Amino acid sequence: MSNNYFNTLPLREQLEQLAKCRFMHMNEFTEGVDALKGKKMVIIGCGAQGLNQGLNLRDSGLDVSYTLRQSAITEKRQSFKNASENGFTVGTYEELIPKADIVLNLTPDKQHSPVVAAVMPLMKQGACLSYSHGFNIVEEGMKIREDLTVIMVAPKCPGSEVRAEYVRGFGVPTLIAVHEDNDPQGHGLALAKAYAVGTGGHKAGVLMSSFIAEVKSDLMGEQTILCGMLQTGSLLCFDKMIDKGMDAGYASKLIQYGWETITEALKYGGVTNMLDRLSNPAKIKAFDLSEELKVIMRPLYNKHQDDIINGTFSSTMMADWANDDVNLLGWRAATGETAFEKTPAGDMEISEQEYFDHGILMVAMVKAGVELAFETMTAAGIIADSAYYESLHETPLIANTIARKKLYEMNATISDTAEYGCYLYNHACLPLLADFMKGIDTDVIGRGLASDDNGVDNARLIEVNAALRDHPVEAIGATLRGHMADMKKIV
Amino acid sequence: MLQLHDLSVEFDEGFQLKHINWQIQQHQHWLITGANGAGKSALAAVLAGYGEILAGSTSSLPTRIGWVSFEAQAQLIQAELKKDDADILDVISLGTPVREIIFTEEIDPVIAGDLIQKFELDYLLERAFRKLSTGESRKVMLIRALSCHADLLILDEPFDGLDQASHTMLQNHLAHVVTHTQVVMVLNRFDEIPDFISHVAYMEDGQLRHQVKREDTQAFNELYQLLHLKTTHLTVPDADADHKRPTLNPLEPLVKLSNICIKHTDMVLIENLNWCIQANQHWQLSGPNGSGKTALLSLITGDHPQCYTNDIFVFGFQRGNGESIWQIKQHIGYVSTALQWEYRVGTSLANVIISGFYDSIGLYSKSTDQQKHIAQKWLALLGMEGRGDQPFNKLSYGDQRLLLIARAMVKHPPLLILDEPCLGLDDINRQLVLALIEKVCAANETSVIYVNHHAKDRIAGIDHYLALEKSADNS
Repeated sequence: MSNNYFNTLPLREQLEQLAKCRFMHMNEFTEGVDALKGKKMVIIGCGAQGLNQGLNLRDSGLDVSYTLRQSAITEKRQSFKNASENGFTVGTYEELIPKADIVLNLTPDKQHSPVVAAVMPLMKQGACLSYSHGFNIVEEGMKIREDLTVIMVAPKCPGSEVRAEYVRGFGVPTLIAVHEDNDPQGHGLALAKAYAVGTGGHKAGVLMSSFIAEVKSDLMGEQTILCGMLQTGSLLCFDKMIDKGMDAGYASKLIQYGWETITEALKYGGVTNMLDRLSNPAKIKAFDLSEELKVIMRPLYNKHQDDIINGTFSSTMMADWANDDVNLLGWRAATGETAFEKTPAGDMEISEQEYFDHGILMVAMVKAGVELAFETMTAAGIIADSAYYESLHETPLIANTIARKKLYEMNATISDTAEYGCYLYNHACLPLLADFMKGIDTDVIGRGLASDDNGVDNARLIEVNAALRDHPVEAIGATLRGHMADMKKIV
Repeated sequence: MLQLHDLSVEFDEGFQLKHINWQIQQHQHWLITGANGAGKSALAAVLAGYGEILAGSTSSLPTRIGWVSFEAQAQLIQAELKKDDADILDVISLGTPVREIIFTEEIDPVIAGDLIQKFELDYLLERAFRKLSTGESRKVMLIRALSCHADLLILDEPFDGLDQASHTMLQNHLAHVVTHTQVVMVLNRFDEIPDFISHVAYMEDGQLRHQVKREDTQAFNELYQLLHLKTTHLTVPDADADHKRPTLNPLEPLVKLSNICIKHTDMVLIENLNWCIQANQHWQLSGPNGSGKTALLSLITGDHPQCYTNDIFVFGFQRGNGESIWQIKQHIGYVSTALQWEYRVGTSLANVIISGFYDSIGLYSKSTDQQKHIAQKWLALLGMEGRGDQPFNKLSYGDQRLLLIARAMVKHPPLLILDEPCLGLDDINRQLVLALIEKVCAANETSVIYVNHHAKDRIAGIDHYLALEKSADNS
């Protein structure tokens, strides 16, 4: 059975690891991919991340091949087709792992333990094992052979984006880390940097973090604001509009595309800009609602963070893995049966501004979720930079998936780990907000405020604006978006 | 309504106007424009009744015309010189004084007197007309035309040879005249176009190619660019001297593809193809839809995943030996419809051009002043001067294409790949694009691979051809 690595560390080290996160300077990447030149890179798994990272690495002049389980090769499964049709060498673990200088484990979290157990004995002395998520090391406590170097390179975008941005000549923001217990030759960082360059990540910004900070902040973000809040918010807002007799097609469309539209404003100018898109009375309304939501939901955010930090979350989830994913699959099916999910978006025109004006409650939910997640993470010792990336920064990316195919698409795109956490959050949050929702009417979701008077009290408006701008997520956000804007000009 | 119906006209020099269909409504003021030798002045002369009609018809040509043109001026001067020759007396002819030339019976003396003052010609009235300078005699022509109560004023390059003060004076005077007199003007410079012009006729090879309403801003701008490309002596802006790429071995081919096979799942797209492209060869690649033209090109650019499973030599690299695609792309300029689809970025026109130095879609590197300067030159070349800060995604389709061609050429690549560059473009834009490509071919430092369907879009300078066929099991 697994042994939570984080819990074996003394508090002093736990805090030190949680606080690791630094935005790296462009001039730290002048050596390019040199550290990996001529090395054999073997990728395990050929899903979206595996394939697209491999395409980028090969186009950067690196030697990439894929290893799959014998069954996937014999049965010519999709992963085999992905790799072979793109002209990559594909072989079994036995054929390719022993020759590999660096093994890239790009399989889903759930498979990490068996996969690593299978490949580790085959790996040559002094080779490197790379992860894109630290769950296996941190939560499952996987012990890696002492001669092996262990690093993490985690592009903070879906695989398709990783490729698309590279082809444009850019990249996606990437998090790198070295597992300090496994850096016998001291070249883990050099390998991780070269890998980030090979995928184009250095052009979009690289965060130097730790396995622990990555896992604890990633889990927190994805289950609360990123996926959990959007799922709960979608269901509550939809049911409210139907309850109040609004057209189901309109309600469905307002929510499906609303998250994407309002969080687009978030991406450009943080919570402040998202709220600034509202009229003054609507802004004050959204602010008040979000303050109320934050009071109600704070204990839930604390509980999620506590369970993540002390390992309760991962052990609960791993128990479900061991139980054939009964909970995960049941919750997935139940989500598919919700009224929001089953109502297609209407074909009416909704203007960009209307999504804000008629979605005041949605704006309030995003604001409350982003701020709570950020506050809870930083209170737990996670540095502000990490907390920003795992909350505000990723919210628009997840919102895009809902715009594509609603909650189904979101839950299909994110990892099983995120999906599991999302359902946990949703089940706790729905009853928690039941009373709050009783007081909600279509003025804040569906129809917008009556527009005959846009007057507001000056003092109150000043207070609200100051509160928005003074929140710590806005300060770090402005700094990091500044770094990004220097490099990224794409809209 | 003045009308030319399928009119073909021949002039003395053998020049012909062909199949002109043109209607001029009352209250419209037309500009005739086009490159040199396109037939602008000839079309204007037809309105004045010149030329021998070969076919077609005219109706409602005006009876009283005020005509200013180089030809009319030359005729008048010629006539004056003949008078001199005809003088059999051994007396030195003084020639006809300006006063006599101006104040003929059809001239309104009040208007003429006013204009003489405005043009400051008073002191020349007694001088012989044939002794005037070009600018002075042009002014006399203008005064005659503007003082005769014409039904139609034909002003063929009226500003030619005028000093700035006279130019301004004339502009102001015309603004007043057009309220009661119809004007047809010939200009080959768009920047002199007066505000009152409501329609533009564009001539090319003796044909009336385009008729555009002034208020149709987009068509008007395109016409402007076309004219600009046709009439300006185009010099392709220099490359960025600071932006170096490795020199290629002149003894090696640019591209050598050997025994190429491209397969998709169970289908073979291209099989056993060999293609060698030497420096300074220009190629045309053709073939039906689905014959693999674009796939073949993407093997060269490195965008096709099977470039690692084929025998490909490009720009000194045997593919699959540790080179990056950026080392390949630095030698290539590339334009295709797919690129335009992918180029959905909110960046500025100048940045789109500069992105060609970095082979990126969007700009992610800090550009140098030199590169910005080069981008401005390209914008000027395309007739988009001063528009560098406008967003690319708000441009018309044709303008976007032009800009992407500039992006492809900005670094003077050894190889320029134009994959159906005219696809989806209207006639004006197609001509613009072809004009630009011909400039590049002629410059002879870039090898061009040109892909197209239309035989009409042939490019001068292309001397090698590769035709793909649809493979048998790909139907």
